[in-house]
Amino acid sequence: MTVARVGRPSLSQNLSAALAEAQLRFTNISRYPGQLLTNVIIPIVFAAMPMLLGRATGGASAEANFAANTGSSNYVGYMLIGSCVFQFVSSTFFLVANWLRFEQETGTLEAVYLTPTSSATLLGGVVLYSTVRSLLPALVAYVVGCLIFGLNPFDGNLGLALGFIAAGLVPLAGMSMLFGAVVLKVKEANALLNLMQWVVSFLMGIFFPVAIMPPLLQYLAWLFPPTWMTNGVRSALLGVGYFFGHWYLDMAVLWAFMFLAPLLGWFVFRRTEQGLQRNEGMGQF
Amino acid sequence: MTTASRLTGPAAFLSTLAAMAQKELMIMLRYPVEFVASFGQVFLIVVVLTLAGLMFSPGGLRGAGGDSGTSGLVVYGFFLFMFMSDTLWTIGYNVHRDQKQGTLEILYLSPASKFANLLSRIVVTLVWTGLMCVMAAVVMSVMIGALPFHNLALGVYVLALALAGTFGVGFAFAALTLRLKETAQTVANLAQFAFMVLCAPFFPFAALPEFLQWAARLIPLSYGVDAFRSTLMGYPAGFPELAPIEVELVIVTAFGVLMPVIGYWLYRREEDVARMKGSLSEY
Repeated sequence: MTVARVGRPSLSQNLSAALAEAQLRFTNISRYPGQLLTNVIIPIVFAAMPMLLGRATGGASAEANFAANTGSSNYVGYMLIGSCVFQFVSSTFFLVANWLRFEQETGTLEAVYLTPTSSATLLGGVVLYSTVRSLLPALVAYVVGCLIFGLNPFDGNLGLALGFIAAGLVPLAGMSMLFGAVVLKVKEANALLNLMQWVVSFLMGIFFPVAIMPPLLQYLAWLFPPTWMTNGVRSALLGVGYFFGHWYLDMAVLWAFMFLAPLLGWFVFRRTEQGLQRNEGMGQF
Repeated sequence: MTTASRLTGPAAFLSTLAAMAQKELMIMLRYPVEFVASFGQVFLIVVVLTLAGLMFSPGGLRGAGGDSGTSGLVVYGFFLFMFMSDTLWTIGYNVHRDQKQGTLEILYLSPASKFANLLSRIVVTLVWTGLMCVMAAVVMSVMIGALPFHNLALGVYVLALALAGTFGVGFAFAALTLRLKETAQTVANLAQFAFMVLCAPFFPFAALPEFLQWAARLIPLSYGVDAFRSTLMGYPAGFPELAPIEVELVIVTAFGVLMPVIGYWLYRREEDVARMKGSLSEY
């Protein structure tokens, strides 16, 4: 009789496990269509708030004032892009954190860490799920929002805008691991995560250019990949202007983040994880 | 006095309410990270929305500080938005939390007043959200100018009744939580969005398209938002927007008096159904 040996899983086995993890989550969310609908509605409603306020308070000169302050008179597109990218970014972060919190609360996190599948593989599957799950509703929200507010969603350099989003996916995935590390460490981290979502919105300039911030905050915003993604998409679609004057220079910065953010994210996540494993913290919540 | 008689009556009710409210406040104080993070979150929401609004003003951030009408419009609407969204979440969420922790069934087997139990959930909202509103008002005043502050007594009256009505909506939503369980969270989200648009807490009703203005007129809380901010702003031209202030006061009063009764009735109804079906601890 041949006895199967438990050894290091191969790359294809790891890939298969990661895809299975992602598929599990897609199957789960398909049972809650209301949540997906909410993800589409949130950015549209959220963008409508400042639009309606601005339109009412700015009166006839609202458009001109907005152009003078932001570089684009298309405030509908500006706000929608900001809120859709924000929804995408914060949802990606939140879903990874939520996975860990859910496993902690249901008491399965310790068991998950005892399976031969590495946490990196499982995390990879969750990150894949959270990225796709966050991106698709955000894109749908942008198109629907444009149609509701009377804009052509396909105006501007759409290919370049999608290029900026694609280039931002990897840094985002890397940063989502930082959120995971926070949950592992702090545990009851709901309020902290909510706060971080708003920090994200502020730093990426959800409804305003980061140029209006004080210099120190501007530098901080530039260290944050979603800021480059948001401004890249806005520049490609609305022509607000790239940070470095040309699209390829801004894109190069995102590419640099593409290498740095996952390394940083994984380093912090792994350290937190190992610290907890050594100190009996994995099963506590 | 028998043991049973000590468990009923106004004194027993108040004692139960105080004990339960104290429990809720203690839970809140035991999570200082959550406490500080919530403050930070409100601060950032206010900053983000204020900066967004300023992008439509001449001079942007540099031109801030002059228009007290705009700050009043946004800040006073924001107060009611905070209470409404907190109430929608808090009461239903707490009932759901008790279900998850398995303590709801036990609570209902105790002789303590069920109304006091539900009412105690509001205390935290009143204390906590009240504090955050004050902080938001200070931040916004600094950023976009001093707040208009007229007719304080009438403003407090409108706020009290609008809040009472809002708590009634919270009770009704807690009833929905017993029926829909996990799905109730999605319904709360959608209700919150509907409120953000139709009750116009961040912008004047005039900014809404005509058909949405009609929809807004069908929601009593819209009159609460309109009456509250118009009163404190000293009825500038065009305010109140939905109806004359006398009419709005009647609607707000009716909302504040009737909605808690209706909400609690709905809750008790759902609770009876859940007890008969044996689903009180299901979630």
